[in-house]
Amino acid sequence: MRVWRNISELGAGLWTTLRQLGRTSTVSYPEEPLNLPPRWRGRPVLTRDPDGDERCVACQLCSAVCPTRCIELQAGERPDTRRYPLTFRINFSRCIYCGLCEEACPTLAIQLLDEFAFSKEHHADFIYEKEALLIDGTGKHPHYNFYRHSGVALQDKDKGEGINEKTPVNVRSNLP
Amino acid sequence: MKHVFFLDGQEIPFIPGQNVLEAAIAAGKNQQIPYFCFHPALGSLGACRQCAVKMYAHDSKHPPRITMACLLPASDGLQLVTLEDDVHTEHREIIELLMTNHPLDCPVCDEGGQCHLQDMTVQTGHSVRHYSGPKRTYRNQDLGPLVYQEMNRCITCYRCVRFYQDAAQGEDFGVFGSRNRVSFGRLEDGPLESPFSGNLVEVCPTGVFTDKVFRHDYVRVWDLQQGPSVCPHCAVGCNTTPGARLGTLRRIRNRIRPEINGHFLCDRGRYAFPYVTANSRPLQPRLMGETTRQDAVLRQLASRLEEGRSGFLGSPREDLQSNLGLFALADCLHAPFAAVTSSWAEALAQQCLALPQAPSLQEVAAADRIVVIGDLDSIAPMAGFAVRQALRQGARLTVLASSRTELAQKGDYRPLRPSALRDQVAQLADDPCLQGGRFPVLLATAETLGPSGLYALRKTLEKLPANARAGAFVNRPNLFGAAYFAADGHTERLQQALRQRKINHLLCLGADPLGEDWGAGTWRTLAPGLDGLTLLDMVDSETARSAEALIPVAAFPERAGLFVNYEGRIQAFSPVYRREALVLHSAVQGSGFPEAAGGLKHPIGPPPPLFWLGRLAEMLHLHEAWQKRLDFYLHFLCPERPDPEGPGVLLPDTIRARFEIAAVPATRTVTPEQWELDIFRWYGGETLADTADELHSLAPARGLRVHPDVQAVAATLHGPCGDLQLPVIACAEMVQGVIAIDQEGFAELGLYPGDPVEVSWEQRQ
Ligand code: SF4
Ligand code: SF4
Ligand code: SF4
Ligand code: SF4
Ligand code: FES
Repeated sequence: MRVWRNISELGAGLWTTLRQLGRTSTVSYPEEPLNLPPRWRGRPVLTRDPDGDERCVACQLCSAVCPTRCIELQAGERPDTRRYPLTFRINFSRCIYCGLCEEACPTLAIQLLDEFAFSKEHHADFIYEKEALLIDGTGKHPHYNFYRHSGVALQDKDKGEGINEKTPVNVRSNLP
Repeated sequence: MKHVFFLDGQEIPFIPGQNVLEAAIAAGKNQQIPYFCFHPALGSLGACRQCAVKMYAHDSKHPPRITMACLLPASDGLQLVTLEDDVHTEHREIIELLMTNHPLDCPVCDEGGQCHLQDMTVQTGHSVRHYSGPKRTYRNQDLGPLVYQEMNRCITCYRCVRFYQDAAQGEDFGVFGSRNRVSFGRLEDGPLESPFSGNLVEVCPTGVFTDKVFRHDYVRVWDLQQGPSVCPHCAVGCNTTPGARLGTLRRIRNRIRPEINGHFLCDRGRYAFPYVTANSRPLQPRLMGETTRQDAVLRQLASRLEEGRSGFLGSPREDLQSNLGLFALADCLHAPFAAVTSSWAEALAQQCLALPQAPSLQEVAAADRIVVIGDLDSIAPMAGFAVRQALRQGARLTVLASSRTELAQKGDYRPLRPSALRDQVAQLADDPCLQGGRFPVLLATAETLGPSGLYALRKTLEKLPANARAGAFVNRPNLFGAAYFAADGHTERLQQALRQRKINHLLCLGADPLGEDWGAGTWRTLAPGLDGLTLLDMVDSETARSAEALIPVAAFPERAGLFVNYEGRIQAFSPVYRREALVLHSAVQGSGFPEAAGGLKHPIGPPPPLFWLGRLAEMLHLHEAWQKRLDFYLHFLCPERPDPEGPGVLLPDTIRARFEIAAVPATRTVTPEQWELDIFRWYGGETLADTADELHSLAPARGLRVHPDVQAVAATLHGPCGDLQLPVIACAEMVQGVIAIDQEGFAELGLYPGDPVEVSWEQRQ
C-alpha cells in the first residue's frame, strides 16, 4: 500500500510540473514593464494636502521608525508657526521599502510609490533631498488635511475653525 | 527601622511623612500608578484623580476602597493593589475624561516624545476616544520670547500655577475662568516676569507650555545628544542637560541635583545657551583681524612667548583646568600670571574663598533666618529661588540693599547705601533679625558688598552661633576656582610689569580686560604699552576685536572641565556634542559609506583651551614640564576627580584656611553728600548670556538708575579712567544718593561698587 501511495504522490507532483508546460507567465523584466498591484511598496515620496500645501509637519516619526535610519530631516517654522520640514532627505541606497514610515506618518505625508528599481552611478546620488521627494499631488489620500483636525491656529484657520471644534472659550466669563 | 508598605505584593520602602505615590516614584516602582498633578518638588494636590490605588484595610471590618495614592500617607504594612479591574477601569476612565477635549496635536506638539500625558495614556491603555462631540478650544497668549503657550492641551493639573505662584512666588501668572473654562496664563499678553518662567516648560506635563527658543530650531528628543553639564552662567553651578543635534546646541534642560538646583533652573541657565550658536562667536583663529589657520596663529603666539616678555591673564569665566593650564605655562616660562583683572576683584575672590563652608541651596531652603545682602536674584537667581523656598516654610527674611528688589518685597527691607552695608553687616551678630533662629543663613552678592564687606561678614559669622552659615555669589561660574591663583598682588604685579615695560604681550584666557571686566579702565590706559594681545575665548568682546591674535575655544557643552561653585563644590562637566558640519558624500573623495541619510560629519568646532595650551607648550619644547605642573596642581586642588553624574566634591578646608590670612581689605569712606555707585544687574545678564538674542530682548534699558527725586534727563559720571554719559532712569525703588550702573559702566569709569562718584546732571529743558 505504501508503495502505491508513494507512486501516486510522485505522479501528482509530476502532473503539477507538466501542467505548466506551454504556459508563459515569466515577464522579461526590465524589457517588459511590470503590472504592479496598487499597494506595491516602492520608494517613498512626500505628498501635498488638498489645498496644495505640503503635508509633512516635520514630526520625525518616520525617521524614528525607519529601521535603516535613512530619513533625516530638520524642522522649520513659518511665520504663522506652521511647522514644515526645512530639509528632508532620504538615502535610497539604504531604504528597503518596508513602508514603516508610511504607516507611522500621522499626516499621510509620506507615501510609498511603485518605483522601486532605479540605479545611479554614485552613492551620493541616491540621497534625495526634499525638492526631489515632494510631489505635486495628494497621493493615495485625496481628502485628508491634518491641520483641519489639529487644534493649532494657522494663518488661514483660527482657533475653533477646525473640524469638530467649539468656538474659543471666553475665559473672562463667570456664567455657570 | 526600615519602613515598607506593599504595592501589588512588592515591598516599597518609604520615609515617614512621604505619601504612597512619592515613595513609589522614589523607589522606581510607579509603573502601575499613573499620575499628573503630583510633582516631587510641588507636592500633592489631588486634582487630577489619576493616581488611584486600592487600599486593603488592616482589619477585616472595612471593605477595600479606592483612594488617591498622592494623598495617602505611607504607613507600615499598608496593602495596596493596582492590578485589579476596578482600579484599572478607574485609571482608564479618568484619563479618558482628561482627554475628551485634547486636540489631535501630537505631531505638531513640541512636548511629543517627552510628554507625560502621552506616557500615561499609553500606560493606562486608553487608545480609543468614545467622545465624538466638538472639542473645547482656547485662544493662546503671547507670553514673551521664552515660553510658548498652546492652551488647548491643558488637563488642569495646576502644576504651572503651583510652581509659578507658590514655588517661584511670581505674581503675573495665574489661573483664570471658571468651571471647565479655566485657563492658565497672564492677565494680559506679555513676557513672563519671573526669572524662573522657563520651568513652566518642564513642570507642565502636557504641551501647553513649551520652550519657545527650542521651538525655532526644534528636534524631537529622541534625536538629541544629551549629557551631563554644569551651567556656566553664575557661581551656583546648577546641573544641566544640554541637548544637541547635528553639531548644534538646541536646548538646555534641568538635571536634578538635590543639593543645588533640585528640579528647577533659572531662565539665564536655560535660555543663555545661544552664545554657542551666535553669529558673532569666533570659530576661526584670527590674526590681525584676518581669518587664518591654526598653525599660523600658534606660530605667531609661540614666537611672542619665546621673546619672554609675555604676561598671562586667566579668568573666573573659564573652567579650572584651562586656568591651571595657563598658570602652568606661565610657571614654566617664569612669566607673571593673574587670574582676575583687578586688585579689587582679587581681594573679592580671596575674601569669598576665605568664608567658611557655605550652605548648599538645599540647606538655604531649610534656613529659618535669612539675611540677603544686595540684589541676589539678579546675580544668582537660583539662590533667590532657594530663599523663596525657605520663605514658604516660614523663614524670616531681611534684605539689605540699595533698592527694593523683588526679594526685598517679600521680607523686611532695610534701604542702605552700599557704603553703609559693611557697617551694617559688622553689626548683624547682635541684630534682632537673626535672633531666635535655629539655622541662620547670610547670603551676599559679593560685588555689592565688596572685599571689606565680605571681611566684615566673615567676622560677623565668627560671632554668630556655630551653625550660622554664609555664602557669597557672583555671576561667574568659577570665581572660586580662579581665587586659588588670586594670591596677594598678582594682578598688581602683572600691571606693574606692563607699566615698567617688562612685558609687552598679554595672553588672556576668557577675559575681557579692554571691555567690561573689573578694572578694564586701568587696562585700557595700559593698552598702548602692549605690542600684542592674544585672546583665547568663545565669545566676541571688545578685547577680541582689538586682539592681535584671537584663538577660538570650544564652548562649555563642547568640552570637559571643572567648575568650582560658591560652596567650593568642584563639579565636572563632560562634552555633550561636537560642533560638526555635514559634508555631502560627493564632496568627500574616497570615503566609505555615507552617514545616516548621506554625508559625513566634519568636526568644525574649535578645540578646548587645554588643547591650544598643550600645542603651545609643545612648540616651546616645554610639554613635559607643563604637563607635570598641570597634573600636580590639579591633583593638589582636587585629589579626587568628581564624576559628572555625581554631586561633586567639596574643597577641603585646608585650602580655604590659606586665604584667611589674606590682607584685611581697605575700606573707603563716603560722605553722605556724595553720590555713591551701586551695581545694577538683571537676572538674564552675564557676558555669555548677552549674546543670546531671545533672552537679551528682555534686558532692561541701559542708564543711570536713581531715585525719582533727581530732576535730570541724563548725567555724566566722572571716574579716574573716563567719563560715562547715560540717560537717567527714575526708579522709585532706589535709595536716595545712589546711582546704579551696569558693569560696563564701572569698567569705563574705573570705579567699583560703593565708590563715591562725581556727577554732572543735565537738567530737563
Ligand atoms: S520604506 Fe522603510 S526603510 Fe524606506 S524610508 Fe520608509 S521606513 Fe525607511
Ligand atoms: S512622519 Fe510624516 S509628517 Fe512626520 S516627519 Fe515624517 S513625513 Fe513628515
Ligand atoms: S500634550 Fe502630549 S498628548 Fe497632547 S498633543 Fe502634545 S504630545 Fe500629544
Ligand atoms: S497648563 Fe500644564 S501645568 Fe498648567 S494646569 Fe494645564 S496641563 Fe497642568
Ligand atoms: S496625582 Fe494624585 S490626584 Fe493627581
